[in-house]
Amino acid sequence: MLSGILTALLRADFTVQLRNGRALALALLPPLVLLYAQFAGKRGVQLGDPLFRVATSITFGIASIAILGYTATVARDREKGVFQRLRVSPAPTWTIMVSRLAVQLVSMLVMTVVVLLAAAAVEKVSLDPAAYLLTLLTVIFSSAVFLGVGQALVGLIKSTDTINAVGRLVYLPLFGLGLFAHSEIFGTTFETISRWSPAGAVSTLLGGAMHPAAWNAETWEALLASVLYSAVFAGVGIRWFQWSTR
Amino acid sequence: MSLEINEGEIFGLLGPNGAGKTSTLSAIEGLVRPDSGSIRIGDIDPGANPTAAKARMGVQLQSTSFQSDLTIREIVRLYAGLYGVPLTRAEIDDLLADIHLEEEVSKRFSQLSGGQQKRVSLLIATIHNPPLVLLDEPTAGLDPQARRQLWDRIERLRDTGRSILLTTHSMEEAQAVCQRVAIIDRGKLLTVDTPAGLIEKHKDDPRVRKVAHGQVTLDDVFIGLTGSELRD
Repeated sequence: MLSGILTALLRADFTVQLRNGRALALALLPPLVLLYAQFAGKRGVQLGDPLFRVATSITFGIASIAILGYTATVARDREKGVFQRLRVSPAPTWTIMVSRLAVQLVSMLVMTVVVLLAAAAVEKVSLDPAAYLLTLLTVIFSSAVFLGVGQALVGLIKSTDTINAVGRLVYLPLFGLGLFAHSEIFGTTFETISRWSPAGAVSTLLGGAMHPAAWNAETWEALLASVLYSAVFAGVGIRWFQWSTR
Repeated sequence: MSLEINEGEIFGLLGPNGAGKTSTLSAIEGLVRPDSGSIRIGDIDPGANPTAAKARMGVQLQSTSFQSDLTIREIVRLYAGLYGVPLTRAEIDDLLADIHLEEEVSKRFSQLSGGQQKRVSLLIATIHNPPLVLLDEPTAGLDPQARRQLWDRIERLRDTGRSILLTTHSMEEAQAVCQRVAIIDRGKLLTVDTPAGLIEKHKDDPRVRKVAHGQVTLDDVFIGLTGSELRD
């Protein structure tokens, strides 16, 4: 019964995601544009080594999908009463959210593959086969940070319009802060703050996954920071989440 | 409030805005937890076994919406899957043809008229043949033709042995389709009987006599018991 419920939910949620052109554009365009900008710009090299710049692009994609895509669909469906209708069916509530999160996770993995292919084809940044696999595994882990942020937004704010507005306001500074995690452009203090921000921690973690031989204490610390951010944001989002706006 | 709905009965819950009709249904549906008291669906306690209870009830919410990017056919397939009812594409199309939506199978829910949306909602609520059907203002906003058609469908459900609990603001609806009616206000049960029985029981009540214009109607009983002031 449970597998049938999950299958039905996943099929429906993937269909919705594939039909939503805006969600697809949000998943793929921002990281590809950032990838191009970081390598094309003369000062791009100051943002860190090539692997870190690819990691930053993937982090940007994860943040876009989670903060703009996930929150928007959850807020919209909550306001329309879609969740209430699902909740009066035999589907346990956790299956409804697992299905939603699984769709976002697959979008993030697809986005990562596209960015890695673009990095290899256009920027000539390629990885070992094991590093590709580790990067994809790390994306699954890293997604929890930004999906946690998205969950916190829909947990703390009821109005769909406000969520969309706050999501856009939060998204760029949150990501922008992490952009300088390996750059001293704004000094070492800013670099430290940037490195331990949610996006900075995820970028460092992904950078480590792309070059497993260089995985060091800092990468482990980034992993720990990501776990803590995920726990705090997801905890807030789950604690205060309401299935209905009424 | 203490109510019992019998097998093969359409039971109407009447009350002004804020009386607690939707809250009562929400408690049965498992959307809200009652502060006290108990609910039984057959021998199942929804609080202790919500999945089993939900599998035995079909629900049409007051304002239902489905995933906006899915077609009607896909929505039916989704809910059939949630209720463990395996349906082929042809079977889904047959079900939609049965409610005269064969031309709309590829449309989105939001592209349907109000009457068509209600028919889809009722189809989905009963796709698993539940013994109990909960309908929250099922005909609100419908034109007379669509309302009559929906009454026919609800009565056909009743004729197959299902118990139906519906809320309504329409006295006409209560008299037309309900075997028994309860009038509630501010979370309390005021009275329960057949529509004719309610009129007979309360026709000499001074509050009812005061609002009646000639022969006492169910409308007079309702206004007499719940008051004339406007509710939000």
